[in-house]
Amino acid sequence: MNLETFVQEFAEQFDEMPADSFSGSTQFKNNEEWSSMTALLIIAMVDQNYGVKLTGDDVRKSTTIADIYHIVHTKAMS
Amino acid sequence: MIPLPAYKFGLIFRLVEPGDAGFILSLRTNARLSRHLSPTEDNLEVQRKWINNYKEREAKGTEYYFLYSDKDNRPIGVFRVYNITKDSLTSGSWLSNPSEDALIAAKTDLFLIELIFEELKVSKCFIDVRKDNKKMIRYHNMFFKRLAEDEQNIYFFMDREGYLRKHHFLSEILSPTK
Repeated sequence: MNLETFVQEFAEQFDEMPADSFSGSTQFKNNEEWSSMTALLIIAMVDQNYGVKLTGDDVRKSTTIADIYHIVHTKAMS
Repeated sequence: MIPLPAYKFGLIFRLVEPGDAGFILSLRTNARLSRHLSPTEDNLEVQRKWINNYKEREAKGTEYYFLYSDKDNRPIGVFRVYNITKDSLTSGSWLSNPSEDALIAAKTDLFLIELIFEELKVSKCFIDVRKDNKKMIRYHNMFFKRLAEDEQNIYFFMDREGYLRKHHFLSEILSPTK
């Protein structure tokens, strides 16, 4: 698991923004396309690709893509 | 039918009334929110008449149009189930204002699928999605089965097995067990 791949997978859940405009420091909730449906798709992507269940609190307390990555990484290791 | 209004997940769910015409029109004429729905005439009286006609279908039990609000009764969004028969129905018209709650979609979808499979007790839920609505297609691919497609839409259905998987997925997000 690495941040670069994760950012790519995260970016694929956004349809209107070019994937290369995302990085670990992207504050994804500031993106105009961010919505509760996007949140659902990201939770589903993480479940499918990493076998990790993100919760509502995980999403709520995260600001950047790297924040989500660290949560997923920690849960995957435990 | 469940007692309404229903209070679930910190939201209030109730049936649409003619007085909601202005709110619904504001959603349906919002270019960003409604870009994947059929166009709506920007006319309050037409919208009110549409709701009055809908109330006749509601009285017959063939259609239910829901509005959900936050705990302070501020309206957030709507969804609809229609063509209700003993065995199936069609779900659609889901529109939601932007909300600070990142889980609004999960909450409303869990309410909706419980309504469909546990309260209305149908065995199949149909849905059609515009082909350019990529997010919804990705989401529905997880739990629905593809029936057909045409130039504009993809047609899906979800059976009880898909419902149970989706129910588990959404419940784990909203009330994690570990």
